[in-house]
Amino acid sequence: MTALPRTASVPRRLTGTLRENRAAWAFGVLLVTWIAAVLFAKGFDSVSSVRYLVQTAAFLGIVAVGQTLVVMMSGIDLSVSGVVALSAVVCAQVAAGSGGTTGIVVALVASVVVGLANAAGVTWLRVPPMVMTLATGTIVAGSLLVYTNGSPKSAKVSLLGSLANDRVAGVPLAFLLWLGITAVAVWLLHASRIGRYVFALGNGERASRASGVPLARTAFIAYGACSLLAGVSGLVLLGFTSTSSLTMGNPYQLLSIAAVVLGGTSILGGRGHVLGTVAGALMLTLLTALLASWNVSEGVRQIVLGLLIIGLLLAYARERRT
Amino acid sequence: MPDRVATTLRGNLDVVGLGALLVVLLAAYRHYDSELFTPASITILSAQFLPLILAAMGQSTVMLAGGIDLSLGSVLALAMAVFAVRAEDGVAVAAVLALAAAASTGAANGVLVAYAGLPPIIVTLAASFLWGGVTLVVLPKPGGSVPAGLVDAYNNGWNGLALPFVVIGLVLLLWKTVRTTRFGLSLYAVGGNEHGAYASGIGVRKVKIGAYALAGVFVGLAGIGLAVQTGSGDATIGAPYTLNSIAASVLAGVSFFGGIGQMRATVLAALLIGLLTNLLLFTGLSPFYQLIMQGAVLIVAIAVKTFATRERTD
Repeated sequence: MTALPRTASVPRRLTGTLRENRAAWAFGVLLVTWIAAVLFAKGFDSVSSVRYLVQTAAFLGIVAVGQTLVVMMSGIDLSVSGVVALSAVVCAQVAAGSGGTTGIVVALVASVVVGLANAAGVTWLRVPPMVMTLATGTIVAGSLLVYTNGSPKSAKVSLLGSLANDRVAGVPLAFLLWLGITAVAVWLLHASRIGRYVFALGNGERASRASGVPLARTAFIAYGACSLLAGVSGLVLLGFTSTSSLTMGNPYQLLSIAAVVLGGTSILGGRGHVLGTVAGALMLTLLTALLASWNVSEGVRQIVLGLLIIGLLLAYARERRT
Repeated sequence: MPDRVATTLRGNLDVVGLGALLVVLLAAYRHYDSELFTPASITILSAQFLPLILAAMGQSTVMLAGGIDLSLGSVLALAMAVFAVRAEDGVAVAAVLALAAAASTGAANGVLVAYAGLPPIIVTLAASFLWGGVTLVVLPKPGGSVPAGLVDAYNNGWNGLALPFVVIGLVLLLWKTVRTTRFGLSLYAVGGNEHGAYASGIGVRKVKIGAYALAGVFVGLAGIGLAVQTGSGDATIGAPYTLNSIAASVLAGVSFFGGIGQMRATVLAALLIGLLTNLLLFTGLSPFYQLIMQGAVLIVAIAVKTFATRERTD
């Protein structure tokens, strides 16, 4: 496959395959975007720029892999922004008193608790996922305000610092971590029994429940894993920046969902592939980096990113099932 | 037919239930603030609650048509910013500009939802980025100014008249009028059963665009109200209104799937959330607890609603 999938001259057979396989599409668009970046912007052709790109994409990518699990079962998790901040802030706070390892464990446990609360609300209280996760996200944000009294700490946790910044044979560890997580997610979603349940629920909740798919168990695993991964991402971010803030997770709410959808997964669930999300996260990080290299105000940058996301969604994430 | 009677009854139950809750809350409030029912107090409280009430009406409008608007907070901030930036050159022009901006962002959301085949959640989430960016371009840092006379008249009463109260009344009247038109009826029809509405000759897409645009007008008014109340603009102030407007609509019994709900219940619910927030401050808890309470109210409200109407959904 070359970088030509968007032109009309490509054989129809190939476009047909691509249309069915949206994840492959995502990698195609990513390649085109990257080539465009190399051609039209400075500093995107070096090895170090690619290395930096995959390293920073890992933060978003880890959250987005978790988001994929939830979206695939027709859910959505808007609390990831809160959980990213939760894990970083809690880890920084706890690490200051009782050491890095304790901080990491407490942060991850707190993250998973949020995910379990999401799943409990969605399955037992029957709150629509969007509302439930919006509400838990708000509660998390409020709890962090109370917990830190408005001023979160910064912390140098050596383990997290090396996880975020070190390299193995020139490859950033954060990227390797992301790939490892993705591999597990691929197995979970595309090879395990739980994955089959997730797809079934995404394609029709009533029918799957009627045929014995355990909604509660699947939801607890999917939402729990999603929050856990958001927590992991928060920890890596803490390692990267050595500071925590109450708003550090905010960009990930929209961007993680955008990465999932741009990766070819249906926002309605039931169709897609985790690997597409990897392409989606890389693409969004590349676009953000491109915009950052462009000397314009924050507002304009946000407008362009918003328009690009809407444009990309229109180009290949439209749904006929609504 | 019996189904419709039941629906109407449940709608009124919402209003009655919310009214009863409101009375309890007002009594508790009175305990902390004995001057609650004086004109001065009513003016200042209605100025404080107007943005949420109008924002909730906007959210309810969209939800009645079967949609959702996660960009509401950004649009509210945009209207606030436009008004605050232009207010010194003439309040009326600024208000028209702010409303036009809000209505057109709403219409743009509506066009994307109606024509693009993208679910409202993802469209409005992406749009919130876009409108947030526009707001930052209009007003990069908090500022702008609203004529002091207007701020004073709005917050402290104008010839003994509580202006925000009047505005809320007028907007409700506007909604009542819209409700009686063909568009108002179509709004409920599209939300209730989109395919049925289409089959009976309703221009579903136009109705959706209209619903988002009308919501934009409500949200725009909320933004102007917030600018007048605070006397300036702030691009980042809108975010909590997204959640709270959804909470108020849900509390009011507006269905997530569209077609069911009453605007007067939404107004009562928004009032309830506002009073609850103030009460929290009276109890001496740190304002940091506000967010926790708002999230909890949302979950409890919708869980209660779901269990109350369980036999219908299952």
